[in-house]
Amino acid sequence: MSSGFSRREVMAIGGAIAGTAAMTPLARARMLPAEMDRDVFAGVVRELRAIVGDEWVFADEASTISYRKSGIPDLRGEHVPSGAVAPASVEQVQAILAVANRYKLPLWPISTGKNMGYGMATPASSGQMILDLKRMNRILDFDAELGTILVEPGVTYQQIHDYIEEHDLPYWLDVPTVGPIVSMMGNTLERGVGYTPYGDHFFMQCGMEVVLADGTILKTGMGSIENGNTWQAFKWGYGPYLDGIFTQSNFGIVTKLGMWLMPRPPVYKPFMVRSHNVEDVAAITDTIRPFRMNNLIPNGVLIMGALYQMSMFNRRSDLWDGEGVIPLDVIQRHARANDIGMWNTFYALYGTDEMIAAMEPILTNAFEATGADVLTEAEMGGNPYFEHNKTLMRGGMTLEEKGLVRWWGKSGGAVAFAPVAPAKGGETGGQTALATEIMNKWGFDYAPAYAVGGRELHHIIFLMFDKGNDEHSRKAELCMEEMITRFGERGWAAYRSSVSTMDLVAQQYGDANREVNARIKQALDPNHIIAPGKQGIA
Amino acid sequence: MDRHRVLRWTGALGVAAVAAVALGSGLSAPVAAQATYEIEPRAPEYLYERTCGYCHGHNVAPIIRGRKLPAAVTSALVRSGNGAMPAFKPTEITDQELEALAQWLATAEADPEEHGR
Repeated sequence: MSSGFSRREVMAIGGAIAGTAAMTPLARARMLPAEMDRDVFAGVVRELRAIVGDEWVFADEASTISYRKSGIPDLRGEHVPSGAVAPASVEQVQAILAVANRYKLPLWPISTGKNMGYGMATPASSGQMILDLKRMNRILDFDAELGTILVEPGVTYQQIHDYIEEHDLPYWLDVPTVGPIVSMMGNTLERGVGYTPYGDHFFMQCGMEVVLADGTILKTGMGSIENGNTWQAFKWGYGPYLDGIFTQSNFGIVTKLGMWLMPRPPVYKPFMVRSHNVEDVAAITDTIRPFRMNNLIPNGVLIMGALYQMSMFNRRSDLWDGEGVIPLDVIQRHARANDIGMWNTFYALYGTDEMIAAMEPILTNAFEATGADVLTEAEMGGNPYFEHNKTLMRGGMTLEEKGLVRWWGKSGGAVAFAPVAPAKGGETGGQTALATEIMNKWGFDYAPAYAVGGRELHHIIFLMFDKGNDEHSRKAELCMEEMITRFGERGWAAYRSSVSTMDLVAQQYGDANREVNARIKQALDPNHIIAPGKQGIA
Repeated sequence: MDRHRVLRWTGALGVAAVAAVALGSGLSAPVAAQATYEIEPRAPEYLYERTCGYCHGHNVAPIIRGRKLPAAVTSALVRSGNGAMPAFKPTEITDQELEALAQWLATAEADPEEHGR
């Protein structure tokens, strides 16, 4: 065979694909929408095809394969869609909703379906039809004076990056760690974060268009003012502020989103604070907090654990082939060999040379007082770990973090847990100790990062496992449930969750909260056709 | 320091230089019921650089250029997202674009600048 791939590799690939293809929504009742028989489903598919065209409805085993792919555990097939429909306009979205209401067809909206660590495109329960909005991919407005943008769901960060470059616009993006292939709208609606001064994405959002379940088009904020021109300039509008109820939500389908972009600074200087001991994370957090509160550190700071970093560029077997979790001294040895510490904190300064010269010694002295090394391009330039965060803190394009998914090997597998806490040193110490205890008990390596906002921190834990091994997947599932439960008992709840744990996390936010969400849902979507189960809302 | 950049950042350069590309606010024109890449398919090199190459050339995934990977295998892997790789849907890379990408990759030369994993 002349291919660069061996016959065994090609056969293995073919076998894997054939195995997945055997699952078809029409062959297995559990993948059909709940309480819908096969004939009705077939009729629904015909009606959807009449709206978007035959080629944009997917309801057989081969064409739905991309929509089934996720990296989280799903041993019982609880997140298998019945199919997908891909409209290309708001009018088509309205027409699809009319069909869905008529037949009680549950629709799971996605923008690009790259919700890494949280289930990708897969729905909260099997049988939902994916409403794939990727074909709506236009940058509708870019105001170069205000630095505002209005985008459709399918617009990726890469697309905006290219637009800015093509037109030499003086703005930067703020990206999540997998920016090139994900949607600005999708990440913002999930309340994702990035690492420039515009890192709190929902805070930088301004105005949205939402299609409600009955087809009503709502423009939030200033969007409905006749002859108005302030939609992307003023967030709050008049009366109750509604944008928030359409984030992490199933109350409507967002079809346009306004965002603010950061003016490109003349000078950008990234820093890395290298801390050598696991317990140093508390002092680092207490050092960062006042500088984030007074904005002298303007960007979203990441405190990266060494193992999180090394998992991007290595497989587990590169570090350890012994029994059990990787011992601390082994992690320390590999960290030293890569010129990184056990925790590595990344912040940056933006402005003019004079501004940065004034701020740099103040910050350096504060971090050095914790016993850490404060490093810059001069010492770390070319180091892949430094370069990775240097790229992120200027909103650059990278997918390096995808590497952690194959930590255990080719099959991949990673599910995220992200509890939030006040940005206080004692909290990081407590959370790190608890997560390490639980994960090590189940045989998983604790590979963390903390993202520090103004007064809070997101503890980002990627539970990496071998999805090709059912026993390992089962342990990952049980480990995640224990983490959510025991963190919850300490008052630490997740800000976001995978589709497999949405109800569990929602319970921690209390009955009143759930009841209010249920009432809003009932009022806006009485047939519960939009993403039932999303964030625990039926 | 680039004085021009400072002036632009502070607004001292004026907005005329950048305002020319503004599309204008309050857009009301109807939007075509077709993705832009359905009207104008993206070239294989363009797609590779903006999608595949971020992992397969940057320390994350195996090198795939210069390996004579059969086009049918590429197409299947892109759609299924074999193993740790994400799956890419027909709405992200159309069937037409994928066919051209897979054909191009089957004969693409290795790039010595890439670092596989």
